[in-house]
Amino acid sequence: MSNALVQIDSLCIDVKVTRTRRLTIVNSATFDVQPGQLLGLIGESGSGKTMLCRSLVGTLHRRGAYINSGSLTFNGIDLVNASPKEWRDIRGKEIGYIPQSALAGPNPVMTIGAQMAEAIQLGEKMDKGVVRKRAIELLEIVQIRRPEIVLKQYPYELSGGMKQRVMIACAIAREPKLIVADEPTTGLDVTVQAEIMQLLKQIRKNLNTSIILVSHDLPLINEVCDDIVIMHAGSTVEKIPSAKIQDTRHPYTEALYRSRIDLVEPRGKLVTINGQPPTVGDWPTGCRFAGRCDYAKPGCSADVEIPSIKIGPNHLTSCIRQAEIWGK
Amino acid sequence: MNRNVFLRKLGGRLLRTISISFWVMVISYSLMRLSPGDPAEARLGAGADPEAIIKLRETLGLNENAFVAFVDYFTGVLRGDLGVSLANDVEVLEIIKRTFPLTLTYIVLSVFFAFIISVPIGTIIGWSNKASAVYVFRGITSIIIATPNFFIAMVGILLFSVKYNWAPLFGYVSDFPGNLKYLWLPITVNTLILVSIISRVLQTSVVDTRAEEFVETGIIRGVSRPRFFWFYILKPSLAPTVVLLSYMMGTMLGATVILETIFSLPGIGRELVGAVLANDYPVVQGILLLFGVITVFLSFIGDLLAYALDRRVKL
Amino acid sequence: MSNNKAFAADASRKERIKEWVSRPGGFGIITGSLMFAAITLVGFIYPLVGPYAADEFVGESLEGPSLSHPMGLDQLGRDVMTRVFSAVPADIGIAFLGVTIPLTIGTVVGILLGISKNKYVVSTVSSLIDGINAFPLLIIAIAMVTFLGPGLFNVVIILTLMSWARYARIARTKAVVVLQQNYIEAAKLMGYSKRRVISKHVAPNVSSESLAYALSDFILVIIIVSGLSFLGFAARPPMPEWGSMIADGRTFLGQAWWLTVFPGLAICWSAISLSFIVEGLSRRDRGNS
Repeated sequence: MSNALVQIDSLCIDVKVTRTRRLTIVNSATFDVQPGQLLGLIGESGSGKTMLCRSLVGTLHRRGAYINSGSLTFNGIDLVNASPKEWRDIRGKEIGYIPQSALAGPNPVMTIGAQMAEAIQLGEKMDKGVVRKRAIELLEIVQIRRPEIVLKQYPYELSGGMKQRVMIACAIAREPKLIVADEPTTGLDVTVQAEIMQLLKQIRKNLNTSIILVSHDLPLINEVCDDIVIMHAGSTVEKIPSAKIQDTRHPYTEALYRSRIDLVEPRGKLVTINGQPPTVGDWPTGCRFAGRCDYAKPGCSADVEIPSIKIGPNHLTSCIRQAEIWGK
Repeated sequence: MNRNVFLRKLGGRLLRTISISFWVMVISYSLMRLSPGDPAEARLGAGADPEAIIKLRETLGLNENAFVAFVDYFTGVLRGDLGVSLANDVEVLEIIKRTFPLTLTYIVLSVFFAFIISVPIGTIIGWSNKASAVYVFRGITSIIIATPNFFIAMVGILLFSVKYNWAPLFGYVSDFPGNLKYLWLPITVNTLILVSIISRVLQTSVVDTRAEEFVETGIIRGVSRPRFFWFYILKPSLAPTVVLLSYMMGTMLGATVILETIFSLPGIGRELVGAVLANDYPVVQGILLLFGVITVFLSFIGDLLAYALDRRVKL
Repeated sequence: MSNNKAFAADASRKERIKEWVSRPGGFGIITGSLMFAAITLVGFIYPLVGPYAADEFVGESLEGPSLSHPMGLDQLGRDVMTRVFSAVPADIGIAFLGVTIPLTIGTVVGILLGISKNKYVVSTVSSLIDGINAFPLLIIAIAMVTFLGPGLFNVVIILTLMSWARYARIARTKAVVVLQQNYIEAAKLMGYSKRRVISKHVAPNVSSESLAYALSDFILVIIIVSGLSFLGFAARPPMPEWGSMIADGRTFLGQAWWLTVFPGLAICWSAISLSFIVEGLSRRDRGNS
């Protein structure tokens, strides 16, 4: 664990709602990322996963959020207190970011070529010919056909899948050690989704980049990622290798797994999770899943610190009743 | 959008602009026919010589069938003949040529100054999005916009003409730089109002842009400051402002009527008021036509410029 | 208590009002409404209870503001305050008519255009509407004065003739959008009669947009009505009206500033109060304070 690329410990992120009110968005997130690891981060809306991503690229302040406590280290560098200069050296060069496909995409008023040039140069002066060559090379890596034409086009002329490929190309432009991909395929066609996942796997293989893949789609994450971190109501509740997802030791993960649509028999009943995720900031004491948990006992809601229990070499859970429920 | 689609859409829009201009012509010509009474009689007065009235009706084309008369008018306009003033026998086109340049000058100057002042204000307040600044900004601009321009002008006159005589109210002199003395106050009044309107729209637009994801991406990419300012803040936000500007120029034309009356400027607005008071129909029609056509074409150009800035705009 | 909680259906009336006010924009809407109500009420009541009549000669001409005449006297010795308040029916009332009538006509036409399947009718009428909208309102209003003659009543007619097109445009655009919505298709599939679909689904949605515009338009029309009077095309002396009072006061600007300033402030007050309401509503829509 000591040579982890990213180390997050009990990270707390708050957001400033009004001049006086603060809301805790992420309350004690803990996990690490190894070099070359494809880590999935899964959770419902409001679980805090997007804020966690933003803390990794240093754009929390834009939403009025800030790290309240805990530690966040990348390659030995403390990101909680990093200076703007340190961020400039990290962003884009060491940590790449792929935004959510539905919301974002390339800047609509610039050509693809101009934006790729930005991603490649990151403020440094480079020879135009070199930049163009690299841009075409990157577009080919993300499997965009006719890259020379695409360079001259504007985003509105491209399909959702192509736009996302461009964003990936920009993210890998400087071969960063870590890529944070926040729901990169949400809203895209299933076939396109599969292609992009393939692409990410290839990038990980060829460049040995660590990738944090955020999603709310468990089957997808399960298939693509090495390990999965599950978040609920602002904390990381379990970290488990994909292969062992069925040996989960947390009720939430189990519920997520069982509610998969692809597991339902024809005419079978759909399994759902009771209740709603707790309102952000209005979290109950103790285990925040207790209100919806099938196994909950009164002790689960007691006002105690939620632990991080080690089950296996790569398996952590925060369910205090895990031993009783699933045995040793 | 590839070349052909763009040209096709452009052509369509241009065609639409021309057809609207046609309607503008129809409307400005037909208004005369809406008069409840007899326009010729209204012009000459009730006790006028009956023969003169008949003659005037003839000149105005009132005796002919409306459709024929309009065709006459239409073909005349295409040739540059907008009729002749009933008051002084001068060609309407001449009157326009004589008075419009002044009006155009101070409108363009107002818009220019307003633009260069609004961009920094709207952008800075929109981008920083500090609640207190926004409140004050929107409060003050609301008040300025809600105040009629003639009142602002009057207050300005009270302060600068009556108390200090820095802005004379009569005797306009047309050569530069003498005319600056007469023009600075009307231009300032115009600019003040325009700045309030434009900077508001820009501020709203910048706030919307700021929330967009691609701006975040730009920050993450570490784009240089001036480049970021233009490509990530300004360019994506300017489109609504440009469209508004072109629309405002039309409204400004309207406001000139009042301003020129107050400041005794020999522009086209004052000419229109005079023509209305004198029932000088050809002049009224001609100026009306001019204003209508200009507004239509300005809106076309405005939309085109907006498209050039932000391809998402619909042409 | 978190604002995120869905508001309980059984909250008391007082609590519900409080919640409505605390949402973004509430302050503006309330302030604006109170301000506007104030001037309208005073305008209608004061002339009835005030000590002077609007056209009564009560003193020396051009007397400055004093305790008995807080807004001074005009050049004919009439009390300015009485005249300013008496002008409310003219300015605000006429403006009101000049908005509501075009609003009704325009919205109906717009909805009909939105529904219509006849391509030629729609495109011709649309071009006509765009043609009318091409003229700056003040300009075409002035031009129409040439042909229809001056006077407040004529102004209402002129405004109606010219403004309906703006409402029609908005109504039509919105109607087209609404008609494409899924709930319209759902209603039709459920067998609702065409008339019901229109009156229950299309009309309310379109009207809400038209009404929002009408509020902003109200401000514009108040200014135009007073502008027209200023030029001498609408209200005629001795009728009290803010625009014409300002015009009269022009000659005495140096000696008697109160002749121009008070009517002008009245226009400002009306317009500003309305714009507070508009601003409050737009803040509410956008969800930020």
